[in-house]
Amino acid sequence: MDWNKVLVAFDASENSFRAVEYAGEMTGRSKGFYLELVYVERLPDRDMYPDDAAWKARCREHEAEVRAALARARGVLTARGLDAGSVGERYEVSCRSPLRQEQSCSLGTSIAHEILRIQQEGGFGTVVIGRRGVSKAEEFLFGSVSNKIIHAAKGCTVWVVS
Amino acid sequence: MSEEVRNLVHKHMPDFPASRCGRLFTDTTPFMDISYGDVIVLGGLHYLVLRDEQERRFGMEDPKFWVKRCHQLETGERKILKLVFYENFPMNIGGFKIQCYRSPHKEARILNLVKGDERFMQGISAKDAAGNVVRVLDVVLGKRLDSVVEELELDHRTYFHEVFPGILAKYLEAVEAIGFLHANWEKHGDIRRDHLWVEYGTGRYRWIDFDYTFEFQENPFGLDLFGLGNILLFLVGKGSVTLQNAADEAGIEAAARITPADLSLIIGNRVVNLGKLFSYLPEELNRVLLHFSAGAEVFYDSVDELMADLGPCLDLVGKP
Repeated sequence: MDWNKVLVAFDASENSFRAVEYAGEMTGRSKGFYLELVYVERLPDRDMYPDDAAWKARCREHEAEVRAALARARGVLTARGLDAGSVGERYEVSCRSPLRQEQSCSLGTSIAHEILRIQQEGGFGTVVIGRRGVSKAEEFLFGSVSNKIIHAAKGCTVWVVS
Repeated sequence: MSEEVRNLVHKHMPDFPASRCGRLFTDTTPFMDISYGDVIVLGGLHYLVLRDEQERRFGMEDPKFWVKRCHQLETGERKILKLVFYENFPMNIGGFKIQCYRSPHKEARILNLVKGDERFMQGISAKDAAGNVVRVLDVVLGKRLDSVVEELELDHRTYFHEVFPGILAKYLEAVEAIGFLHANWEKHGDIRRDHLWVEYGTGRYRWIDFDYTFEFQENPFGLDLFGLGNILLFLVGKGSVTLQNAADEAGIEAAARITPADLSLIIGNRVVNLGKLFSYLPEELNRVLLHFSAGAEVFYDSVDELMADLGPCLDLVGKP
């Protein structure tokens, strides 16, 4: 694994922007780093919309919001000294997307495991993730991506940004 | 009163009082207006409404105006019609507010998925004239599992050794049934004690009511697992064991040993470490319960994980 190849888990939240800033600060003034922002698509639940049209419209809005946030995150990294060629982004489409089908897609079982799959496939030696700071009860009910990554990551370094 | 309804009812149910015959509904959107004596038309069949269903919670009868107990006129069968009611409400669980939705599409999809599977209530869905997805459900002839357990007049030790093994065997099947939903990327959505019924005659356990849904991203089945743990706790404890009643259940000395780590992670006054109260509980079974306690460091992520620990407990509590 190449430690200079850094996968930054991104979900457009404040915490993930903090992780992006930290990763930029740590790597922006050094040579040889490659940072890839990865977003694992989580679509709004189909059952919460009265019909397919309303759901698809919301899915489109959601994708546009995330892509705009990814562009802002990329800007954060380049502003900290990384050149454009050293920053990549990956929007991992949900396998259940009503908008498109792609060969590589997110099954939707666990964001953490999807991130680690991408890390393994891409040979990323470092994973960066923001942390919400959830209570034990919240983790039990809602899950915690950062905790799962800490527990399940193998053969890479994990930076957890609080 | 509709002449058409009176003729229909008279033809199929001559004993039904003609004066109580109401209107014919092909569009069920105004479900509050549909009541006793009205007839709903669905898929070419006619359903005479007998009453609104009620849910008994916290000792109160809560009418569900969108759920109608009906008599299917052509076949004479009793059916439950769940009409479309898009409800969106926060569910309070241990201080957390979880946004829940009622989805007729979800329930219709699951009914289709579990067709013929005796671990679930059965039914079909049909669209009314306005396109509402109405669920036509078979009546589960039985009783809520929690009522069955609560009504047993046995002390805990006798219950645990003589009755619980049989309950656990069937509960394991019910847990597996939820695993089947999850494997098909569906969640039950409202796993509560009163949503698992024991069928008269067969004694089979059946899950009912699948129309709730919620949106959890990293832990999509977390609320279902929480519900399964709660029911297990109830079954092992022969009722809800709380800080308040622990001494009555197991004696003052045993109750005094309960610490905050022994309580539920989510519902603060519920005792989870029942092994401290009932010394004859196998340690392995108690360890399963402890995954739901405030002292837990590791949680179940899936039904498979829960089953892997709970399944072997059946041999330890004695075969039913």
